[in-house]
Amino acid sequence: MNAPAFRAATDGSSSPVVISVKNVSKRFGEAKSNQSVLALDNVSLDIRKGEFVCLLGPSGCGKSTLLNIIGGLTDASSGSARIDGREIKGPTPDAISFVFQESTLFPWYTIVENFNIALKFQGVPQSEWSDRTMKALKSVGMATFANHYPNQLSVGMRQRVNMARGIALKTDVLLMDEPFAALDEQTRMVLGEDLSTLLAETGKTIVFVTHSLAEAVFLSDRIIVMTARPGRIKTVVEVGEPHPRSPDFMLEPRFSELRNELYALLRDEIRAATAAMRDPVSAPVSLHGG
Amino acid sequence: MSIADNTTMSRHGGSPLQRASAFFGGPRGIVWARLSLIVLAAVVLELYARLLANPTFFPPLTEVAQSLFDTVLADAKIRTAVLNAIWQITIAYGLSIAVGLALGLAVGWTSFGRRSTFPIILLLYAIPQVVLLPLFVLVFGLGAGSKIAFGFSHGVFPILVNVVAGMRNVNQLYIRGAQSMGASRVDLFRHVIFPHMVPSFFAGLRLGMTMTLLGVILAELYVSTQGIGYYTKVFAETMDPAPLYAIIFLLAVIAITFNEIVRIAERRFTRWKA
Ligand SMILES: Nc1ncnc2c1ncn2[C@@H]1O[C@H](COP(=O)(O)OP(=O)(O)OP(=O)(O)O)[C@@H](O)[C@H]1O
Ligand SMILES: [Mg+2]
Repeated sequence: MNAPAFRAATDGSSSPVVISVKNVSKRFGEAKSNQSVLALDNVSLDIRKGEFVCLLGPSGCGKSTLLNIIGGLTDASSGSARIDGREIKGPTPDAISFVFQESTLFPWYTIVENFNIALKFQGVPQSEWSDRTMKALKSVGMATFANHYPNQLSVGMRQRVNMARGIALKTDVLLMDEPFAALDEQTRMVLGEDLSTLLAETGKTIVFVTHSLAEAVFLSDRIIVMTARPGRIKTVVEVGEPHPRSPDFMLEPRFSELRNELYALLRDEIRAATAAMRDPVSAPVSLHGG
Repeated sequence: MSIADNTTMSRHGGSPLQRASAFFGGPRGIVWARLSLIVLAAVVLELYARLLANPTFFPPLTEVAQSLFDTVLADAKIRTAVLNAIWQITIAYGLSIAVGLALGLAVGWTSFGRRSTFPIILLLYAIPQVVLLPLFVLVFGLGAGSKIAFGFSHGVFPILVNVVAGMRNVNQLYIRGAQSMGASRVDLFRHVIFPHMVPSFFAGLRLGMTMTLLGVILAELYVSTQGIGYYTKVFAETMDPAPLYAIIFLLAVIAITFNEIVRIAERRFTRWKA
């Protein structure tokens, strides 16, 4: 295996903290109404530069909500989130870019036009557009489709392009909300490896939401395991393995051990979540405590 | 690539059946099918008119064609009337597009605007405007004004309604995506909401075209002393159906021409949907 070009901060408290989440709670709806949902309950989390952090937890536990709060797309009800020491009050496109589960490429623009508009939104000078676009497209092997419309690509290709756009924006932080969920397993693995390489080469900080245990172990430096709603941090699992990671990592006994550990942690939470859905009255959802 | 391969294959090789189905399924086959249908209809009408129908109401097509040149187009006054109708329709349609688009964008931009105004617009749209025609004549006079105004009042609503409807239901994902990249409100409008609205706008343009035509012609029939409506009335009342049909044919040509222009523009601007 190659020597890692950049060693991320699994152990290194030396790297500076990039994202700092302090006592964040999020309630949707009015606290008194019975429609109100406490999605996040007092979550605190520090993410260091160059780290790959996965958010793992049962469906509806607030992973996307946490990601959206970091990205400035949703306000926290209480607590605060900071990026590079700045309080997050809205989107910070100069520091953070998003990759969502579904491609957010605009169907009315070609791939190139989509990249250009993203760079324009971000305020990048026009002279850099085409260079950055082509580099990013090449990095995911999609350069020949630059002038296609998104609808002319398969779902997998679209998501690759979508990821490339996140890369082209060159932000230090990449927030990814189940970016590979709609893809087949082989493509997921290939893109996962690409991502690990990207991390090693660029030292980007990546926060990644997934439901796949294998993906979480394969990609992460740290895995944040969350409880069923209201989401709290249950445990943090460290994966001490340098980037870029090769598929051989999946064959190591440590890989399956970590995977099993995660499954054991999650099983109870998932049971709690399903019970809550079946019987909302006695479940913790209806408790308005925050 | 594979599509191109397919067509070349069926054009140069393949079984006769494959070739036949490629021909009838292809664009040339469609054109031929259309032409034969028109020819067939013409022959049937001609035979029906010559053998069965009362010639006072139903002239043979050949006679209509002849009167198109001998009576209608040969008459300078009728020619002027047709030209007048064309520019009245053009102005009414242009106004409908400009106002329909501008108002639609203004109303559809905020959900407040939509919810407060849209029901009222729909209500106005539902009124059969013919009952207001005398009022239009009273206000805009007997000349071109009332025709343009009436064409406009017909054409503007379908465009307005479709523009507003097209600005609804923009996929939230695109909005969030754009916002996360730092798009301003103007950016959102220009690059997300507007393009999303375009296909619906074109649906409105097509409908608006038909309605504008209807409005202008209705006003023509009601007040005209020298317009195209006047001549249709004259020919109908003097039991001279051939030129009447010839004028109707001309109107159809005008409608089809406008429609084609809209269709070509639509194809150009909604290529991404294909
Ligand atoms: N805009 C909203 N309005 C009201 N409730 C919301 C909203 N967004 C999320 N919620 C609620 O917050 C909770 C957490 O949602 P979130 O999308 O963060 O879950 P998640 O962990 O990402 O789930 P999944 O794994 O299924 O994507 C859910 O119970 C959801 O019903
Ligand atoms: Mg989610």
